[in-house]
Amino acid sequence: MLRFLARRLLWFAITLFCVVTISFFMMRAVRGGPFDGERTLDPAIERNIEAKYHLDWSLPKQYLQYVGPFNLDEHGFELFGGDGSDRFGGVLCLEFGPSFKYKDFTVDQIIGQSLPISALLGIVAMMWALALGISAGIASALRRGSGLDLGMRLAATGGIALPNFVIASFLVILTVFMIPLFPVAGWGSIRHMLLPGFALGAPFAAYISRLTRTGMLEVLSQDHIRTAQAKGLAPRTVILRHALKGGLLPVVSYLGPATAGILTGSLVIEKIFFIPGLGSHFINSALNRDYTLSMGVTILFTILVYSLNTLVDLAYTMLDPRIDLEEI
Amino acid sequence: MAKPTHKRWDFGAQDMEKILAEATSHKGESLWQDAWRRLKRNRSAFWSMVFLALFGLMALIAPVLPLASPIALSLRTEATAPSWPWESPPPTTAETPKGAAITSDFGAVMDNGWRHRSVIGFEAKGGAVDEVVGALVELVEGVTDRSPMVDRRSSEGAGQSTLYYLAVPYSYSDPAHTDWEPTGLTGSAVLHRIGDDAAWVDLVLPEGGEDPSSFDSWAVQGQDLTASLMLRAQGDRLLRYNFALDRPFAGSFAGIRVNGHLAPAIGKASEWGPLGAPRPEPAPEEAEPTTEGVTPSVTPSDEASDETIAAIQQDSFKLFLASFGERALGAATAEEDGQIVREGKGKRKVLFERRTAELREERGVVHDDLERRMTTALETFVAPAGVEVDLLSVASENGYWDINAADRFLVTVRAKVFGLWQTGNWLGTDSKGRDILARIVWGSRTSIMVALVATLCSLLIGVTYGAFSGLMGGRIDNLMMRFVDILYSLPFIFVVIFLITILNEYKLELENRFGLDREIVFYLVIGAIYWLTMARVVRGQVLSLKNSEFIEAARVIGAGTPRILFAHLVPNVLSIVIVYLTLTIPAVMLFEAFLSFLGLGIEPPKVSWGTLAVDGTEAVNPLRIYWWLVLFPAAAMGSTLLALNVLGDGLRDALDPKLRGKD
Repeated sequence: MLRFLARRLLWFAITLFCVVTISFFMMRAVRGGPFDGERTLDPAIERNIEAKYHLDWSLPKQYLQYVGPFNLDEHGFELFGGDGSDRFGGVLCLEFGPSFKYKDFTVDQIIGQSLPISALLGIVAMMWALALGISAGIASALRRGSGLDLGMRLAATGGIALPNFVIASFLVILTVFMIPLFPVAGWGSIRHMLLPGFALGAPFAAYISRLTRTGMLEVLSQDHIRTAQAKGLAPRTVILRHALKGGLLPVVSYLGPATAGILTGSLVIEKIFFIPGLGSHFINSALNRDYTLSMGVTILFTILVYSLNTLVDLAYTMLDPRIDLEEI
Repeated sequence: MAKPTHKRWDFGAQDMEKILAEATSHKGESLWQDAWRRLKRNRSAFWSMVFLALFGLMALIAPVLPLASPIALSLRTEATAPSWPWESPPPTTAETPKGAAITSDFGAVMDNGWRHRSVIGFEAKGGAVDEVVGALVELVEGVTDRSPMVDRRSSEGAGQSTLYYLAVPYSYSDPAHTDWEPTGLTGSAVLHRIGDDAAWVDLVLPEGGEDPSSFDSWAVQGQDLTASLMLRAQGDRLLRYNFALDRPFAGSFAGIRVNGHLAPAIGKASEWGPLGAPRPEPAPEEAEPTTEGVTPSVTPSDEASDETIAAIQQDSFKLFLASFGERALGAATAEEDGQIVREGKGKRKVLFERRTAELREERGVVHDDLERRMTTALETFVAPAGVEVDLLSVASENGYWDINAADRFLVTVRAKVFGLWQTGNWLGTDSKGRDILARIVWGSRTSIMVALVATLCSLLIGVTYGAFSGLMGGRIDNLMMRFVDILYSLPFIFVVIFLITILNEYKLELENRFGLDREIVFYLVIGAIYWLTMARVVRGQVLSLKNSEFIEAARVIGAGTPRILFAHLVPNVLSIVIVYLTLTIPAVMLFEAFLSFLGLGIEPPKVSWGTLAVDGTEAVNPLRIYWWLVLFPAAAMGSTLLALNVLGDGLRDALDPKLRGKD
């Protein structure tokens, strides 16, 4: 277990290093800077701005400053010629620097404001996906071949085959304009979260229901289920305690990709429902050449995807003791 | 004692032959035959395949189908609901043209009818306007051999001019414009630049030369823009044209083109008078066509020194010559010597509609002939006293974007087969009046193209990478797979967004230096993402096959490496690759839709299912539900992706060696 975690951590460090380095240098290599506006700035002003954001330094120095952990400017470590008032900084100290476009905010502040919203949306979506997917999967596995099964499988394939923004617009037309159940857009209360969460989770619910159905069908035909039924356990106990555990294994392994997918999908859903989450920041910051914000969000998503994948692997061993962590 | 003979083991030559014959005549079912048999038995997968084949065929021959144009905009401001083929389309404007003069509903051609059209706009002012327009319609009908549609766009009031549009259906089978060239054009043209986005031309033509008003269109050509000049003959031979560009222009003007034609004019270039022709007196202020919407507030040439003027003249003459050559002269810039005053922007837009003659020429569609005949008809038209008729704009639309030669051929076939007939708005139109049915069909081409190219790209990278890694094994394999793992844990969508942002930045360079279309690069970028899973799958398969018994057996028999590779390994890997391909295609299509939603996908005017779905999403509003904008593109996309998924699942079952021979 510990060895597994240590190895994962090592790869995590390598991955993160690659992400930071590549995206840093790629970003700078692209033409156009964050301060290219419609007005051309006075050269003196431009110099000042560049000095403020250290854009006048050499690239390697900027990179070192960005990664940290030492602050290299005039307030930095005494050893590098600073006054020592602000010795540390950079990504290694979880400081992503000031945003270039939102001038009064640091990247940390922006992320701090919008991450909880995105996370909440993601959690709601995940809950929808799991609740709907697993229950639909179990139901269609138990009633295999019935009309219910057929209907659910059709719905599931439809959910996989449509982009989530199309599903979202259908839902909006149905449950907002035709039958006013939910507010159109915005964020704040639970009613605001249900619809976007559902639209975001729907494709994943579809996939999960398919996985659950296959998994359950496989487990239900096994010997230990027959034994459990033969010894007179209630059907509910057989299904929930004995069958579900094995039947959900494929679902658990899908959770890693699913979270990554939900993160991606939230870009779209947040735009449709005007949710002030992280999604808009990523695209806009890449377009605006807001170096720091763009990289901050990228790093954040890398961390999220990686740690969630690790968690999924851990959960996998809990559910299936036959799997050895060392082999993953 | 006679030795017992063991006949049982003693094959005669005859028996041997029999057995051999039996062995060779028995044909085992190959993997593919077996898979095909099982696929045919899987009814849903089979019908999915048929559906996809039909859909693919439809996408392939889309230009032949008598569809409305997928991109032609109409003056309609609201999306129209679907109408059944037997229903007549709803009226387009509240104000329907009335009077005996109006021969037919303009809307029929503009909004619901044939979208490949030539339109001229003119302004009429005075008393019996309707009769005049009726006469004009007849005139145009005479010169074009087809009945034009008329639309009246602004309200009539006492003393106010009324805007008319006259549209003539244009078909690809129309003859190209060949019978006309600018002959006898002599004189000189001087280009003055005012500010960044405006200029004027002094055209000096000798007395007794051809009347410049017979040349129906002039264009000033810059590096990558063409601006039209409105022609207005003055009493004297000095013509001064003001024109404005629709964006700031920093480069130099390349020259003047006549009627959008380069080729016929090449021989005539020398006739354009000597260098440094005597500069005429600037026309008096009031003679300048102030109706053009732009009036120079200063008469600039008066302030400029003679040397400057000579230089300008020289430059502009060079530029002028250059316009007939192949490449623009880069160096010359005219003097910046004046300010322009603009009146209403909208008016300017009508007046100085940007010409796309050159673009159209590139597309191989020259319908200047139709345009010219109409314009000439309008210009030579003598209006009765008290009525003023002014030509405003001429615009033709071929109804397609830049399509390639094969598609152009198909469009010609269409024009031959169906003539001017085309489908109505059976699936409704979007808010810009574009036909949804046509957009779905044309969009399917783009989407299928993206899916195929990107999937092939992912196939190429993934199979090579995976097979190499699997075959090498050991440390190299480990390293290569670790690299894939790292890429797997990246949030890939962000890499893509990033790459495409960069791509947009370097669009021109890519086109000029490498001849790469933005779209092709777009396909490649998507393909470059989807190879990861393919590499893993192929590698796993190769690893397990490499040490399997039948490979060893083949080696024992003495098969060489190439034979083992192509006869044994490839077919076994291929089945899994095919299955994975059919599942990648829907994923890529969804991804394209996703990118389109973020504004990073296919660029208008081209259309893909992604952009259609996005249009539908954007049209969702509480005031009116445009269900057809959401439903039909979603249905097309959903059914195709559904069929692909079902086919993929069916293929997976059919190609599964474990299920071989079973049903």
